[in-house]
Amino acid sequence: MFIHAFTRGIIFGLQSFWRNIWLSVATVFIVFLALMSVNFLIMVNVITDSAVGAVKDRIDVSVYFKPDVRESKIAEVKTKLEGSPQVKQVIYKSSDDNLANFTERHKTDEKIQETLKELSGNPMGATLVIKAKDLEDYPAIMGMLDDQSIADLIEERNFDNNQLVIDKINSIADSIKKIMLIISAIFILIAILIVFNTVRVAIFTHQGEIAVMKLVGAGNWFIRFPFIFEAMLAGCLAVFAVIIFLYPFLSFAQGYLQSFFAGYDFNLVGYFNSNFIVIFGAQLLAIIIINSVSALVAISKYLNV
Amino acid sequence: MIHLDNVTKIFPPDTPALKDATIHIEPGEFVSIVGQSGSGKTTVVRLLIAEIPPDNGKISIGGWDITKIKPHQVPMLRRQIGVVFQDFKLLPKKTVFENVAFALQVSGVPKGRIAQIVPQVLHIVDLTDKVDRYPQELSGGERQRVAIARALIHRPKVLLADEPTGNLDALNTKDIIELLLKINEFGTTVVMVTHNKDIVNALKRRVITLDRGLVAQDQKVGKYVI
Repeated sequence: MFIHAFTRGIIFGLQSFWRNIWLSVATVFIVFLALMSVNFLIMVNVITDSAVGAVKDRIDVSVYFKPDVRESKIAEVKTKLEGSPQVKQVIYKSSDDNLANFTERHKTDEKIQETLKELSGNPMGATLVIKAKDLEDYPAIMGMLDDQSIADLIEERNFDNNQLVIDKINSIADSIKKIMLIISAIFILIAILIVFNTVRVAIFTHQGEIAVMKLVGAGNWFIRFPFIFEAMLAGCLAVFAVIIFLYPFLSFAQGYLQSFFAGYDFNLVGYFNSNFIVIFGAQLLAIIIINSVSALVAISKYLNV
Repeated sequence: MIHLDNVTKIFPPDTPALKDATIHIEPGEFVSIVGQSGSGKTTVVRLLIAEIPPDNGKISIGGWDITKIKPHQVPMLRRQIGVVFQDFKLLPKKTVFENVAFALQVSGVPKGRIAQIVPQVLHIVDLTDKVDRYPQELSGGERQRVAIARALIHRPKVLLADEPTGNLDALNTKDIIELLLKINEFGTTVVMVTHNKDIVNALKRRVITLDRGLVAQDQKVGKYVI
């Protein structure tokens, strides 16, 4: 009995979807637009995160050691820094490397070249380039460098120059996150209302039919189920359409944005691929719930015959 | 078969549709309920299919007291009474076959059994050649015959017909009345609500006349007197 009713509910739902094809297409299209707007938001979020990440990634602290500090001492400092949980990476540049880089950088400047020739030894010390795991970790790292045993070895460090940039980026990133959260919430709310209303309008057009079903002895669930199934089907098709239309757009955007993220691992398609189940699964689940609830609420109005 | 005992129905705010009406209909009868607009004819049908509850009195059909019927029992009641309306009340997106079959599907009858019964009933109403048509592709008379086929599909003991010829021309009216008489001959109790004087007078069957919610006359072989 239940299997009969269930199977018939699905068949009636499919029949109704097909026989009211334009209404069905319109419903799918509205849900599709709502979901597309949500996906664009996700895309903007990814791009913003990547942009902030790219800038953050370029920030580091260079510690210039005095020329007379022995390599073994610098290696000790390097090991100590690497042991810190805040430090992501420490790159060692020897005094010879620094001299070679400096000479290469100023090879066209005759005065500098002459001065370097007049100097008997290497005037440059070694350098450690430190990258923190997070922007917030730099003050802690600077605290370590302030330790007297290390501070005595250092000639100069460039963190002060970065501090302003770091503070600014942090503040921009926080603001963007807050704005995106508000925009996302508004967008999702609008999308829910649009979908809710679309399903209600679709069922409103069936109110006469629902009354007839009641008059010939159909039970409430026998009437409800095909409509709920139809609404769920519309949601599934909309998510399917979103996947089909979104990927070519992502590829296009990826190619266009790649130049802005030169040297940084930016992969929009990859992000959607690796989070495919979470992104589209959540959308599918959400749209099925919204559509089903909308259908349930809308039908209940017409069931009292 | 059908018993209305001292039934009163008042529509808000204070419009009485039926006042202390008592009507008893025996099995196998063909009864016409007549009266002017607003006399309470359709209210009787609506009460009998539990679309509205009475404010007072008792209603029973085939021994089932439906006065205080629970919402979940209403579909069961409607599957046991055939109802035909003036506006046919067919499902526009379903074919003739599907409209008739729907009444069986709602009660969980298997597909094979439906495929067996529906053509038989469509044969009775002479629509075997139009099973795949949609309601909008049929004439008024044909639509009403689909509605009658749907009403008969459960082999009901009672058939309620609310102005079944109200939207039909003379020729189709004659066909539908003949069909209702044929159904009555098979043993089904037919209760027809109408204000068509010619039909009632030609039938020479029992006539119950309602006037402003009151049972004004109840004649064994009656005529339309208002």
